[in-house]
Amino acid sequence: MSQSLRPYLQCVRSSLTAALAISNFASQTSERHNVPEVEAASSPELILNPLHISRNENEKVLIEPSVNSVRISISIKQADEIEQILVHKFDRFLTQRAESFFILRRKPVKGYDISFLITNTHTEMLLKHKLVDFVIQFMEDVDKEVSELKLFLNARARFVAESFLTPFD
Amino acid sequence: MSQLDNFRTINIDRLDPESSANFPMETLLPATLPPPETSSDAANVATQVRQLLRGGDPEGALRQVLDTAPLAGDARAKEVHLATVIEVLQGIRQGEMTRVLEGVCAGDGGSERADCLMKYLYKGMSAPAPGSGTQSPRSMSVSPQNTGGFSQIQGRNLGEGGGGQQMSVVLSWHEKLVEVAGTGSIVRVMTDRRTV
Amino acid sequence: MLLLDYQNALIQSLLTERFSGATPVSIDQVVSDFDGVTFHLSTPESKSKILISINVKCFKELVQYGAQDVLEREYGPYIVNPEPGYDFSVQVDLDNLPAEQEARDDLVMKLALLKRNAMAAPFERAFDEFTKLAEEASQYTSESAPQGLQEGGQVMAIHYREEEAIYIKANSDRVTVIFSTVFREETDRIFGKVFLQEFVDARRRVLTLQNAPQVLFRSDPPLELQGVPGLTKAGEGAMSYVTFVLFPRHLTPQRRYESISHIQTFRDYFHYHIKASKAYIHTRMRKRTADFLQVLNRARPENEDRERKTASGRTFRVQA
Repeated sequence: MSQSLRPYLQCVRSSLTAALAISNFASQTSERHNVPEVEAASSPELILNPLHISRNENEKVLIEPSVNSVRISISIKQADEIEQILVHKFDRFLTQRAESFFILRRKPVKGYDISFLITNTHTEMLLKHKLVDFVIQFMEDVDKEVSELKLFLNARARFVAESFLTPFD
Repeated sequence: MSQLDNFRTINIDRLDPESSANFPMETLLPATLPPPETSSDAANVATQVRQLLRGGDPEGALRQVLDTAPLAGDARAKEVHLATVIEVLQGIRQGEMTRVLEGVCAGDGGSERADCLMKYLYKGMSAPAPGSGTQSPRSMSVSPQNTGGFSQIQGRNLGEGGGGQQMSVVLSWHEKLVEVAGTGSIVRVMTDRRTV
Repeated sequence: MLLLDYQNALIQSLLTERFSGATPVSIDQVVSDFDGVTFHLSTPESKSKILISINVKCFKELVQYGAQDVLEREYGPYIVNPEPGYDFSVQVDLDNLPAEQEARDDLVMKLALLKRNAMAAPFERAFDEFTKLAEEASQYTSESAPQGLQEGGQVMAIHYREEEAIYIKANSDRVTVIFSTVFREETDRIFGKVFLQEFVDARRRVLTLQNAPQVLFRSDPPLELQGVPGLTKAGEGAMSYVTFVLFPRHLTPQRRYESISHIQTFRDYFHYHIKASKAYIHTRMRKRTADFLQVLNRARPENEDRERKTASGRTFRVQA
């Protein structure tokens, strides 16, 4: 693991642990409604200060806490066109399965690649530390996977090119 | 007339004084807020702090800079003060971090200082690093790229993006501070309306 | 399968079976090949006479560059009048095949290479032109050569696909083959760029490829194509021009058959591998997504299926 990756993930881990302290909260504006306040933004009182965590300008996490929900947005490093395309494809793969990824937001927050929305029902139903583990592992694995796919693509391109040119020799 | 054409886009909650969207945020601030500061006040503090830092007293410098946080200052004062804090943090060596932190977070008002530092760490990560605002536009045409030799394969984790240096300092401070002050400190950053 | 075959595998296997002496049956089959080429295999007169017709999009252009001659040379005695709707037809009589097995196999191969041979005409012409130009050029030094000689021959354009074309141009010291290719999608474009970059670099990087043709690529039409009508303007981003520079060593009579066959497969080979890489990447992502789901599901607390008992020791079941 790279030198600065560990403190970065550690920071995300502790921030998430702190942010996931959420409880049930019925809507103040309409009776018998219960909506994630971070999305509804019905009152500034219910939204807490957002936390930014960044490793560099390309790798960032934004945690937007509120009284009954937390929105986590991740920006994944994309150093060049290939990584851009790979990350984009990955995002699509995930968001198209958002139904089974119950905490995944179908559309990322502007400026980020992927967003999760964790509400109080999730934290009541699921183990909080495992949810945090998931986000951390997701961040690690996406990075690893993109690197591997990129290497694979280059290796294949190289092999293909050499094989085509060899018969001319 | 154009105002009327767009009447559907008007957020009517904003016009209703009773609406929760118009919650008076200032009622959430405690009465014991320090007096407002301006950027010149913050600059004065910066000079004092720099002297302490140069005088070989990093602990004193950090203590001073955290005690004088412009909680009620304007945006410009906060910006200047943030730069001072970052400067102090960068001026303290890795090996000294834990010792300095324990010193600063102990004693009278120690936990306030820890919370204040935590606020600055998150703020430091949210602001774009100086000089990294211009991102090179990604080329959209297929044209031969200079591969600088024979390979276009390169490790992804070698090239750090802009601002990586400052971030890694902030991140390691964050790690140490969580060890000392605990998760509760992060919760207080989210809930405290007195921003830095 | 890394490199693509030059012949059409379906025609090959079909004819091999027919030629093996099996009882003749009637055939009526349309066979597709790359680049929108279609074949029609049928037995219109009798079961023992197989008619093979080919339809090539750019046959008119190929005829201009001498395709008829090449095809007559290759298939002389078998040629019949083209079937309606097709450009060129040959007919083989099963009762009148060569006696030896080897000769039969050769005939099968020759028929399976129908597309290759039809497309080969402009290449052959360019190669001939090169030989002629090289001879002329050897009489001059580079300064005294007349203008026309330096510029080389005419650019021959073959619009073999809807939007893509091959351009061939002979010079006194080389033959340049330019493929124009379209990337329908952003992903293809970027993958294509990675692949093309490796084609460009391969020659420099690998010692054993020093003698391979030089490959260049760019997104606007190369200088060789100046003044050629119907080029897509640069800037649309989807077009790429891939230039192969064939050197005299690739153009010798001994090598030329192989060179022509091989370079024809470039476009399909290239796109085939882009698609294959995409497919692989999709498989991996699918797998990785499933892994993520598994990790997320670990967050569900273990269901306690333990039997519950009341104080008096009776069991009960919670009604769902």
